[in-house]
Amino acid sequence: MSDLEIWIVIVALAVSTAITRSGFWLVGHRVTIPRRVNEMLRYAPSCALAAIIGPDLLLEPESLQVTLLNGKLLAGIASVGWYLWRRNMLETIVFGMLFFTALRLLHLF
Amino acid sequence: MNKASDVVTPDPAAWRDGVRTGIPTLFGIGAWGLVVGVAMIKSGLTLPQALGMTLLVFAGSAQLASLPLIAAGAPIWVIFTTGLVVNLRFVIFSALLAPHFRMLPWYQRLHLGFVSGDISIALFLQRYPDPAPSKGKLSYLKGLLYPNWASWQIGSIAGIFLGNVVPAEWGLGFAGTLAILCVMVPMVASRPALCGVLVAGGVSVLAAGLPYKLGLLAAVLVGMFTAMAVEELGDRFAAAKGQP
Repeated sequence: MSDLEIWIVIVALAVSTAITRSGFWLVGHRVTIPRRVNEMLRYAPSCALAAIIGPDLLLEPESLQVTLLNGKLLAGIASVGWYLWRRNMLETIVFGMLFFTALRLLHLF
Repeated sequence: MNKASDVVTPDPAAWRDGVRTGIPTLFGIGAWGLVVGVAMIKSGLTLPQALGMTLLVFAGSAQLASLPLIAAGAPIWVIFTTGLVVNLRFVIFSALLAPHFRMLPWYQRLHLGFVSGDISIALFLQRYPDPAPSKGKLSYLKGLLYPNWASWQIGSIAGIFLGNVVPAEWGLGFAGTLAILCVMVPMVASRPALCGVLVAGGVSVLAAGLPYKLGLLAAVLVGMFTAMAVEELGDRFAAAKGQP
């Protein structure tokens, strides 16, 4: 692609961000969402977060193969345990990264 | 009773509260941005193009999805559509957040929607599940959104400049996953939410091969339906046992 074409792509992507993220903010008050749908939407944030991290924890990135014994999943489980114990997010992230790095350097997984 | 004007009145305490709530996640967000920055420069974008993309687009997964398409010289409308589809979950998020701030002028709504990220929205809705006006809401939201935006951009720009220095096997993007885990854990305190999250995670893995990251959207929808069904069943069970 030429430089100009890439810049057009970048602007097009910025527009797609604006439509999806800001669309409802701009016209939402003219749309009435049914009560049932609204109730269901309450669960959207947690489900979206789960859907974002699911593949990173469970899949081999190259082959898309499910692996239950991998460093990220184990570090993820250990981190949830740490978080439930300490209730401190920053500590949990540092602990999880150290745990993951240790597993990687020791070639355990 | 709180009025709409209370929502928009600047409230430094609420702003600080928002910043404090978000601070622990910033490290993960920055690391995630770093990974996307490295990916952009490694895919062959020039320095100005990569900087322009991170500053103008601000949508990590859409950026990552577009890189191979740009490299392959795909038509612009295909890349645009891909961006729309990859971002579709934000339509759900904005439907949840917009009612809280409908009193704002349009340019502020456009701007706030544009800088809202997954984790910030989840944290905001934890604090304010109800769209009814409440004092300091806007300041709290900004306290979450602006540092989140800044740490993403700092991480991303660092990644663009570091380019090939950061080895991929360090797995820095994993910090973003850990940040999300921490935000998610308190949200699954109820049985319906837990079921929804488990199902959404499972579907996202099974459907990961779908094009345009449609697996993500499918996972959110199936997870939501599951949570709703479990809630419904729980209500009926409680009613049958004669409890409220």
